[in-house]
Amino acid sequence: MSDTTTSASWNDGARAVAPILLSVAPFGLIFGVTAAASDLPQLAAWASSFIVFAGASQIAIVEILDNGGAAVIAFLTAVVINARMLMYSADMGRYTVAAPWRTKVAAAYLLTDQAYLVTANRFPDPRASVRVLPYYFGAGLSLWITWQISTTTGMVLGSAVPESWSLEFAIPLTFLALLVLAIRDKPGLVAAIVGGGVAVAAVSLPYNLGLLAGAMAGVIAGMVSERWLS
Amino acid sequence: MTAWIVIIAAGVATFAMRFSFIALFGRFSVPANVERALKYVAPSVLAALTLPALLAPGGTFDPWNVFVPAAVLGGLAAWRTKSIGAAIVVGMPALWILQALTG
Repeated sequence: MSDTTTSASWNDGARAVAPILLSVAPFGLIFGVTAAASDLPQLAAWASSFIVFAGASQIAIVEILDNGGAAVIAFLTAVVINARMLMYSADMGRYTVAAPWRTKVAAAYLLTDQAYLVTANRFPDPRASVRVLPYYFGAGLSLWITWQISTTTGMVLGSAVPESWSLEFAIPLTFLALLVLAIRDKPGLVAAIVGGGVAVAAVSLPYNLGLLAGAMAGVIAGMVSERWLS
Repeated sequence: MTAWIVIIAAGVATFAMRFSFIALFGRFSVPANVERALKYVAPSVLAALTLPALLAPGGTFDPWNVFVPAAVLGGLAAWRTKSIGAAIVVGMPALWILQALTG
């Protein structure tokens, strides 16, 4: 990493996610506070930040087990919530195709909504630049470090964080901002409207299936509308 | 002990999903249709994550809740500035003000 171009890209990636860290940190705090208040073994809840490293599913696991839910349901819910990683992985594969195996493993471990989205946004064509992967790792590692620090802080602070701050609002706010940036053309807008609409209509489905149904409906709507709109 | 098993199993499964296509790419070429579909993954998933959280907080449809106007302001800020931080800097204080006003 002594090559200046490469290190510049690390920094670029880290800088690109810096504003996102503003919302990841409150999210991490919320997870930490939730975990500290639960009956789960504290070490296990804390370790989930680097074992699972996916916030929404970590919160789901803690809440389900803490409310006496079955282990199988907790596990399946986490899998369903994280199933979108399959789609990100399919897209990230285009960027890592020429990389050595250990780079692929590291890229997979650091794959998150935010790291994937800033990279795909900055480099729509994976072949366009050799700086794609350093950029991705700069973003991914910053997110990983922020997640570990904020979840640990949340567990230490516990109930000292007042509920009136509504920190949980930072999560949909970030995803909304990422959404606004991800809509680049009319078919993309159609995909978002259909995906969001289906997810709202299916919100009462168990195991977060509404998320998957919305995601699939959105992708199909985007592809179908492409024929007429572009 | 149960918690450890669930967390480790979820960790392994999540990594497997993250690694899946990253590992498979290069073994075969991606069909053009799949590549076209991938363009719509981000807007679809993001909308499916965001809209229910805003319009149906807690699982019940309620489009008139206080999060919606705060999110609209935050979203507009992100759109105008092309920046995610702007959504936080505008949206969070907007929520606090709206919450103070509506008691």
